[in-house]
Amino acid sequence: MTVASGVGYVLIALGPAFSLFASVIAKKPFLILTLLSSTLFWLMSLIVLAGAWRAFLPVKSTELWPYSILILTSVGFQEGIRIGFWRLFKKMEDMLNAFADRVSKPRLFLTDKMLLALAGGLGHGLAHAVFFCLSLLTPAFGPATFYVDKCSNIPFFLISAIIALGFVIIHTFSMVIAFNGYTEGKRKDQIFVPFAHLIAAVITLINLVPGGCNVGLPLLCIMAGTTLYYSWQLVWRRLTEHQTTRSSD
Amino acid sequence: MDDRSTDSDPVTASESSILDTLGEDVIRIVSPVSLCMLLVVLLVSSLSSTNDLSSSISSLFLSSPPTSFSSLNLLLGSDSTWEEIKSALITALSFVVVVTLLTFLLVLLFYFRCTNFLRIYMGISSLFVLSFLGGFISLLLISHFKVPIDPLTFGILLFNLSVVGVFAVFMSKFPISMNQGYLVAIGVLTAYWFTMLPEWTTWALLIAMSLYDLAAVLLPVGPLRLLVELAMSRNEEIPALVYEARPVDPQPGDRVRVWRERTDVVRIEATENSTNSANVQTIQETRLAVSEEITAPLIEPFPQTGDRHLNTEEEDDGIGLGSSGAIKLGLGDFIFYSVLVGRAAMYDYMTVYACYLAIMAGLGVTLLLLAVYRKALPALPVSIMLGVVFYLLTRVLLEVFVVQCSSNLLMF
Repeated sequence: MTVASGVGYVLIALGPAFSLFASVIAKKPFLILTLLSSTLFWLMSLIVLAGAWRAFLPVKSTELWPYSILILTSVGFQEGIRIGFWRLFKKMEDMLNAFADRVSKPRLFLTDKMLLALAGGLGHGLAHAVFFCLSLLTPAFGPATFYVDKCSNIPFFLISAIIALGFVIIHTFSMVIAFNGYTEGKRKDQIFVPFAHLIAAVITLINLVPGGCNVGLPLLCIMAGTTLYYSWQLVWRRLTEHQTTRSSD
Repeated sequence: MDDRSTDSDPVTASESSILDTLGEDVIRIVSPVSLCMLLVVLLVSSLSSTNDLSSSISSLFLSSPPTSFSSLNLLLGSDSTWEEIKSALITALSFVVVVTLLTFLLVLLFYFRCTNFLRIYMGISSLFVLSFLGGFISLLLISHFKVPIDPLTFGILLFNLSVVGVFAVFMSKFPISMNQGYLVAIGVLTAYWFTMLPEWTTWALLIAMSLYDLAAVLLPVGPLRLLVELAMSRNEEIPALVYEARPVDPQPGDRVRVWRERTDVVRIEATENSTNSANVQTIQETRLAVSEEITAPLIEPFPQTGDRHLNTEEEDDGIGLGSSGAIKLGLGDFIFYSVLVGRAAMYDYMTVYACYLAIMAGLGVTLLLLAVYRKALPALPVSIMLGVVFYLLTRVLLEVFVVQCSSNLLMF
């Protein structure tokens, strides 16, 4: 609806991501590289999914089931890839530790590892926001706006910006939770992440129903808040445990 | 699996962790490349609604048959796809042939020690790029955004900026930030110019240049390799338009690394009506922090004298480098990356993001390959090929998928 609203939509979707970037990630060059590579990773997984689904698109029916299969397969694939991502991350951690030994600097702190997980998650979230929201925002910089039939009270761009915001938060912090869970071997954390992702994606299915977005958007934000809270608790617990074991030595 | 035993003690965290400074050099190259690409994308997207003024100016300015003919044909709508492809291939091939000949000429001149001639030529070509291309693109911007400025002011500003630019690029006493800024500006202007070519020609040109790059650096008869060996044997620097990723405030006793990347000779004469030249330097040795296989010294603080000593010992591996040992990336690489992204921007922003990530990945892969092989490698092929592949994949596969999902407000 003009440059101002276009920029506004971008900031709604990516505001927290930008502030995370500026305050945490921009200070350490290696985290920027991690962010870029995890964005590329997510893009490649998306291309694979798009390739797999190309033959069946565009889905002409307005039924629920083709879309739910789409969502289920996509989420399942991405969660499976996350384990692969974690393996790569472990390898990188080992290389960094070996490198640190070689130049006689301290090995990776716990906070470093969490920062790496955060950068990885932010890369995923950024990729989601860019490809699902930003790339479609170009008309928003022009003179008009656009409404979707199923959700005719909110402009399409605003809906996609809010959904992108929710997913940025979910992706970023579920990566922190997932890496901690795989490292510590705790089942609860490991199960939480795919679950949260799946629930969030299923919530967006509600948007298919006319007027569903009025219910779907708040639910998605609640889901994002839940993920944020869970990761906060996890990190708090981990850091205080680490501190107490340190001081008890 | 508890890894607390491998964690360092955060109480003594007053000493920095390796994460603080690792990858600094890579970021110092990634930032200007990204900035150049961003500026080209902004230029392309704001000027893409070309009015008659720009197309008439461009047809005035382009006096050579191949490109303007095909673009005029496109404007008149009389070109079929097959004709376009044919003219694109012919243009790209002729461009590569011209560049090869000119590179051999450059090798010859360098062999006969006509370095001054080369430097003067480079100065004139940068002046040309900054004043003519810069002026033309500023005129487009002024007419598009209806900026109120009179011709006299415009002339004075243009003259001043171009002359300062030429000095900034070629005098070593200039502040490095100005040098870097002007190099990025030259890259942006030239890249924008290239995006004005018709579509098939641009893609053919990109692929042809990356293949040429591959051949010219790796084949033993390739001109770039000859040039490098010449410069190596004389321990001289090639006069070139090269971006040097030095930090703006150099610290004494800074870590010194021998790391360079190659550039391209891009010289276009009457056929393309713009001139820019970037010269070649080899990739000597490099190491990327993350690869464990490297045995090259990673972070060992060399005093300045030690650095020079290191250079002379490694004569068989590479040329003497810039006095601060920073990474150097040739301007040709900047330009072709930005051309690819600019052309992607003419389709849609999704392709821009995908191509940007692909090019960054290609850059990273090139640096890794250098760390492993430790010999001269071209910087263009991997990035351009990845960029083209991702562009095609995005355009064919991804776009349909994402638009289908997003328009139904389904996201994951």
